Amino acid sequence: MPRLLLLLPTTTYRTAAFVEAARRIGADLTVASEQPSTLEAANPAGLLTLDFHHPERAADQARDFARHSPLDAVVGVDDDTAVIAATIGERLRLKGNPVRAAEAARNKHRQRELLAEHAVPAPRFALHLLDEDPHEIARSLVYPCVLKPLRLSASRGVIRADDPGSFVAAHARLKAILDSCDAAFLVEDFVPGYEVALEGLLVNRRLHLLAIFDKPDPLDGPYFEETIYVTPSRAPAGLQRTIADCAERATRALGLVEGPVHAELRYNERGPWLIELAARPIGGRCSAVLRFGEGVSLEELILRHALGMPIPSLVREQTAAGVMMIPIPGAGVLQEVRGVAESKAVPLIEDVQITAHPGERLVPFPEGSRYPGFIFARGASPNVVEAALREAHRRLTFVLA
Amino acid sequence: MSQVEIRITAEPVDNHRCKFVVSQPLHAAGVRRFASAADAKGSPLAEAIFAIPAGGVTEVIVSGNIVTVVKDNPAPWPAVGKAVGAAIRAAAASGAPAVAAKAAPAAGVVDDDALYERVARLFDDQVNPMVARHGGHVELIDVQDAVVMLRMGGGCQGCGMADVTLRQGIEGMLAQHIPEVRGIVDITDHTTGANPYFQASKK
Repeated sequence: MPRLLLLLPTTTYRTAAFVEAARRIGADLTVASEQPSTLEAANPAGLLTLDFHHPERAADQARDFARHSPLDAVVGVDDDTAVIAATIGERLRLKGNPVRAAEAARNKHRQRELLAEHAVPAPRFALHLLDEDPHEIARSLVYPCVLKPLRLSASRGVIRADDPGSFVAAHARLKAILDSCDAAFLVEDFVPGYEVALEGLLVNRRLHLLAIFDKPDPLDGPYFEETIYVTPSRAPAGLQRTIADCAERATRALGLVEGPVHAELRYNERGPWLIELAARPIGGRCSAVLRFGEGVSLEELILRHALGMPIPSLVREQTAAGVMMIPIPGAGVLQEVRGVAESKAVPLIEDVQITAHPGERLVPFPEGSRYPGFIFARGASPNVVEAALREAHRRLTFVLA
Repeated sequence: MSQVEIRITAEPVDNHRCKFVVSQPLHAAGVRRFASAADAKGSPLAEAIFAIPAGGVTEVIVSGNIVTVVKDNPAPWPAVGKAVGAAIRAAAASGAPAVAAKAAPAAGVVDDDALYERVARLFDDQVNPMVARHGGHVELIDVQDAVVMLRMGGGCQGCGMADVTLRQGIEGMLAQHIPEVRGIVDITDHTTGANPYFQASKK
């Protein structure tokens, strides 16, 4: 059986989905994380610790591992591990993205430079150091603008500013969030419009469109907490084609060639704009809404592609589907969640997963980014799915102290 | 005949499950699991525990000097535990076998009780000392038709890497040491884990 190296950070939501997908396709699985499993000694071929902070070092460790357990594919599941997977892939000559391309997708500034070079529509941007005088920066900007960390995910630290005063305030908050982990940040134009997310799979440089999700709740700031994703998109077919084309041009600009792609785009009267593109699948537990062909999961598609196994279908099921990333209900310590059974009882609701645990401190955006749970629905049309998600959410009560 | 003092220590796992560690063995011949009062017929200790008024007892497992009791009522353990302790003392004092020996399984049928004992030993000797390093523990709930049912607790409950521990760790160890096991089912309610060792946080 082929052996797959799966890079799973200990903080990922995607462990179960990827581990189960690997079991389904019958791959010999090695799970690598940045911290050792307590059972690593019991299964040295199946559990591995890699230095996720230093991709080159991780590649050395993977090369040493592969000497006794040869690897046929390596897959990362998030932004950081996509870079590590590329580095390991290059070292072991496995299918994957060039390291330079994976790094460009990971670094929002480098990504924007390449998009601009290749004339992919994207917000105008400028890189600033956190140590610069925010009042001075504020005087030079066009408003509204968006402050954006270079590397954080899930819209953490992303703040809209409408005037110099709100920019200075946003700068102070961003500085506290970034602390010492990044010395620079982006300021880019706020692009008004309707936002969608695109899921795709690159196969030998060609982007196969897997799904376009509508994001029906406006994302106009000042913070950018995601809520509902519904697919298929209700955008006209022609517009969806231009959205997919924009995303494919972005992948070429970055030099990505293989594997999953998740992109956030906006469209307005001037057409689609590429807001972000990542060389990874959709985040959180959202992938559970995607099923292909006879019920194949997104994770199974990704692993089959990485291992060169046949892919039964890249066509999503006909049914509409949606997920709500449950909005963070406020700041405080979670005591309990009421109404889960009532929420699950809403017609079309498939599941309500509360991922925050009792006693957990919930931190709203922009400082926080951990959603307390997910609601999943499937139905005949995007409209009924969206309505079911809203009704299920309405029945939940988060008790905070 | 002099009476030997019997000491019993109650170790609640949660509000539904409690282990009673007894200072003398009650059943030396492996593990006996009783899933109902009907199952318990002929085994005085199990019969007495199932008969505890309003105890809500759903399962009794006797292995060596450990009696594990599972109940489905919300009453705290001190209320039911006293009656369990009395039943244990009575059974031990009677001089009769506390539980009857299990009938041998029919030829060709997997003996779940024998498997239970081996899996329990593997968990005690190898799995739990390992997961304890992350504040976790894995409890063997049952073996039915050679499928192992377990529950994760402590740092394992709600842990972002629980599936890795389960599939890459425990399942592999079972396959290596007890190949007769046909599967593994995690019945943990991971949503109620209050102190997961690794917590999912990234989008």
